[in-house]
Amino acid sequence: MGTSNGQVLGVTRIVEAGPPEQRWNIVIVSEGYRSDEMAQFATDAKQFADVLLAAAPFDRLRAAINIYRVDVTSTESGAKDPKKCNGTGAKPRTYFDASFCSNGIRRLLIGNNGRVTKVVSKLVPQWHMAFLAVNSPISGGSGGPVATFSRATGAVEIAIHEMGHTAFGLADEYEYYSGCATDKGHDKHSKSEPSQPNITTNKNRATTKWRSLIQPATPVPTTSNANCAGCDPQPSPVAVGTIGLFEGAEYFHCAVYRPEFDCRMRNLNRPFCGVCQQVIVKKLTPFLPM
Amino acid sequence: MVTRKGARKSKRRKAAKKTRPAKKTSRVKAHKTPVKTSKTTPGVNKAMRLTFSYDGNDVKLLSQQRTEMIVLPSDAVKGYGTHKGFWAELRSGSDKTLYRTVMHNPTKNDAEVFPESPSGVISREPAPKRRGVFVVLVPDTDKGEEVILCRSAPATKGPTKGIRALASKPAEEILRLKLKK
Repeated sequence: MGTSNGQVLGVTRIVEAGPPEQRWNIVIVSEGYRSDEMAQFATDAKQFADVLLAAAPFDRLRAAINIYRVDVTSTESGAKDPKKCNGTGAKPRTYFDASFCSNGIRRLLIGNNGRVTKVVSKLVPQWHMAFLAVNSPISGGSGGPVATFSRATGAVEIAIHEMGHTAFGLADEYEYYSGCATDKGHDKHSKSEPSQPNITTNKNRATTKWRSLIQPATPVPTTSNANCAGCDPQPSPVAVGTIGLFEGAEYFHCAVYRPEFDCRMRNLNRPFCGVCQQVIVKKLTPFLPM
Repeated sequence: MVTRKGARKSKRRKAAKKTRPAKKTSRVKAHKTPVKTSKTTPGVNKAMRLTFSYDGNDVKLLSQQRTEMIVLPSDAVKGYGTHKGFWAELRSGSDKTLYRTVMHNPTKNDAEVFPESPSGVISREPAPKRRGVFVVLVPDTDKGEEVILCRSAPATKGPTKGIRALASKPAEEILRLKLKK
């Protein structure tokens, strides 16, 4: 079990922007790759780096970002896939013990994050964000200190969404909890202002969080949900990319607002909204070369 | 009669008026999120990495590691008294907030669930047995004496009962620790 089921081989900097003491450092760690599959991990890590650095605003922040690959072999390939979640029942012996069906949730894929952070802290002491890349074709992932994702199509999107939470403190912008049709008790957000930068309960144009990004011609609120018992079904009344106050966010249908109609923090396969991009740029600017 | 203090205020007001159009210009630029070069001073980039574990309501410090690296800029250190959520603060000996980092609550007892197909939607499910670790990075400065963690308490009744991600009240201090020097 665990560390007896593999070996930490070492670390390779795959995107080099400068000394780690002065840059923002991302580390991608392998899980469930056998020693004869490490070339595949190198390819997967490179692919992840390419996708991330092509996404706005990271495309403009390349000079601030180092990306490292930590090669860790496992005795067997894949991740645990318990039958109780209708999985295959596979129980491969892997270094970080990654498993689907965490807490009984089929696609909740988690490894031993404490073990991951120990390995990363030893090899890249200046790390800011860690990812665990799990060698499984099944869709899954999770957030937390280590954003975990599998090799399934689109799983990289999960990792980038989770990075929005972990690295930049961004909130979820979706306006439901379990689903628009199934939610109970998610009609109205509390009056307390959320601490996260990309959601607000303040609908005053002059004082709301991202007021400087709202154009004078944009109505505020930009959308209002007529029926707080469910999600707002109306399409966006403004052009894509318009920043305003769109009702519904952070698991509630009403009384809380998101900055754009859509965003990577609301749906996968979308770009970060203007406000999230501004937050990321502001946070990573100190890591740019002088 | 205009006092020196009053004159200073008046000058400031005039200066503020003068700078208003410039602010508007910067607003437009901000929308495009321009990337500026760093003004970080070399030699002051020291950080403290604090690793915590959580299990249920318990949060414990596991380790404290000094590292030479840049920490993300601080979030606002004023005006958040009634905010809800989760954050960490570096405090001085006189309990002044020197640095604050807003976090997506890392002590979750629910989980984000991702769709099978990339075109599907994200949702959440309660996961009451979750436990794990999380990491807080703060600047390692002479003035920084303590780190506190603040978290909103979850609802005690209703459909959102117990789920920390759905907490609605202003955050309260849940842990305070003295940094090892």
